[in-house]
Amino acid sequence: MMNSTNSKPGLSEIVSELDGRFALEGVSYVQYHEVAIDMVEPDLHQGLTYLKNAGFRQLSALTCVDWLEEGVFQLIFNVFDWKKGIRVILRVKIPRENPRFTTITSIYNGAKYYEREVHEFFGVVFDGNPDALKQLFLENWDDLPPMRKDFDSRAYSDRKYVKREYKTSFGEPGGEPFERN
Amino acid sequence: MNHLKEIKLFLGPQHPGMHGNASVHLYVEGDIVNKSRLVPGMLHRGFEKSMENRTWMNNIGLIPRVCVVEPDINEMCFAQGTETLNEIEVPEKAHYIRMLILELARISIHLMSLGGIGGPTGLYTAMYWAQADRDMVLDIFEAITGHRIYHMYIVPGGVRKDLPEGIDKLIRKTLDDIESRMPEYDDLIFKNPTIQARLVDTILLPAEVVWDLGVTGIGMRSATGEAYDVRKVTPYARYDKVEFDVPTATYSDAFTRMRLKYLEVFQSIRIIRQCLDGMPEGKPNVRISRGSALKWQVKAGSTYSAVESSRGEFGYYIVSDGGTKPYRVNVRGASFPQGLLGVEKYMPGVRVDDAPLWFDTMGICSPEIDR
Repeated sequence: MMNSTNSKPGLSEIVSELDGRFALEGVSYVQYHEVAIDMVEPDLHQGLTYLKNAGFRQLSALTCVDWLEEGVFQLIFNVFDWKKGIRVILRVKIPRENPRFTTITSIYNGAKYYEREVHEFFGVVFDGNPDALKQLFLENWDDLPPMRKDFDSRAYSDRKYVKREYKTSFGEPGGEPFERN
Repeated sequence: MNHLKEIKLFLGPQHPGMHGNASVHLYVEGDIVNKSRLVPGMLHRGFEKSMENRTWMNNIGLIPRVCVVEPDINEMCFAQGTETLNEIEVPEKAHYIRMLILELARISIHLMSLGGIGGPTGLYTAMYWAQADRDMVLDIFEAITGHRIYHMYIVPGGVRKDLPEGIDKLIRKTLDDIESRMPEYDDLIFKNPTIQARLVDTILLPAEVVWDLGVTGIGMRSATGEAYDVRKVTPYARYDKVEFDVPTATYSDAFTRMRLKYLEVFQSIRIIRQCLDGMPEGKPNVRISRGSALKWQVKAGSTYSAVESSRGEFGYYIVSDGGTKPYRVNVRGASFPQGLLGVEKYMPGVRVDDAPLWFDTMGICSPEIDR
């Protein structure tokens, strides 16, 4: 099990710095070079700014997890320090009803398209991102955002597309091998 | 110039080059691109959603399809992530076999993209040669895994089966062949005046832009001059036990980036030889969970597992709720930053005939943008 003692140099220092500045909800050391930190929504932008100044110059990914039973979306901000080789994953929970979050493009420029992607697949609106509401991958999508847990892809496909009947017979052993019409 | 009318051109989605099914909308005045944007989604097959509906074991068949030419990195990310969550240590031999497979895959994709530069520059000889050499690597894959493209070989707990008897002879011979042919690529591609005219000093990538976008891999190393390679910075498998160099540069134009790919092939050959020499004895895999493979359970938690692909940092963010299926898997495609924001912000200004070169040398693979 990973903890602060067998992690890479620099990682626990970052955690204690963040702990001194913000109210952290949870810290878990996942791998020797990776720590996941749960934060509250109002602190997140300050936390990211602090990390960027501390050397975490790259936003590796921004994504979202839908916790349907809890009724929250968890936004995942994954930043990496190439010099020290350490990774911090900041996580924040926002309500599932009418989800909104302020854009982080002013801190990490590269977040622009990640935010559009999260909006398209989860419906989280990023205020301040000029293109946040434009469609990116799914052309003319008219249903629930598809990565939500309450979106059933099988039911959607049954509803959306004409049902086609396939008559398939694999034949008798030793007889005609395969027939489809 | 100001009397020319701006017209809109479509690059793709059926471009015969390397970049697959993505379309670039170019707004062109004369032959200079004024505005550009990538239109992804033509290859969107809902991988992330499908993964949530399949068991951990079933996913092994699905994940290699995320990236067509380099499928093994997906298998590695997925396997590593589940092992981290379940806190199991794979056998030493599995680590070495994994490195062998990953480096063979790196050679195969670097050969493909070295040859692929023949597409936008009109040097088709390079493409034919490289594909023929890449085929020799695929033969090795076929002998080891039974498959040429999607190997489904690196699985949670190790590798699917042991290396076949006497395979190291085939691998060593193929590596010798490829190594002896590399100087010919040098003559054909890098010393070729037509290639130099197109690649040298075009499509520049300053270090500040690298940080602005979040470009990784060869783009990052060619601009910053630092050995920023996931294999060196946060070593996975046993990359800390083998010796290899990471080629870098401080001036990133299209030519430099192609050159680094060429140099990386030699390093991969070096790693594979060390893997073969130091291949440990023992079992190639362990069980990651008790019971039938269809009922594998992975402990609740989340992890991000990253590997170095040919285009940069490639990672899976895996969330498990303790069940028999992943709760959420997010794929961080290495070409997402430069493919979307990069095309919008930094492609304007290039000549329209350099736009496919921009795509090729920035290392963009549309399947991993779409997922």
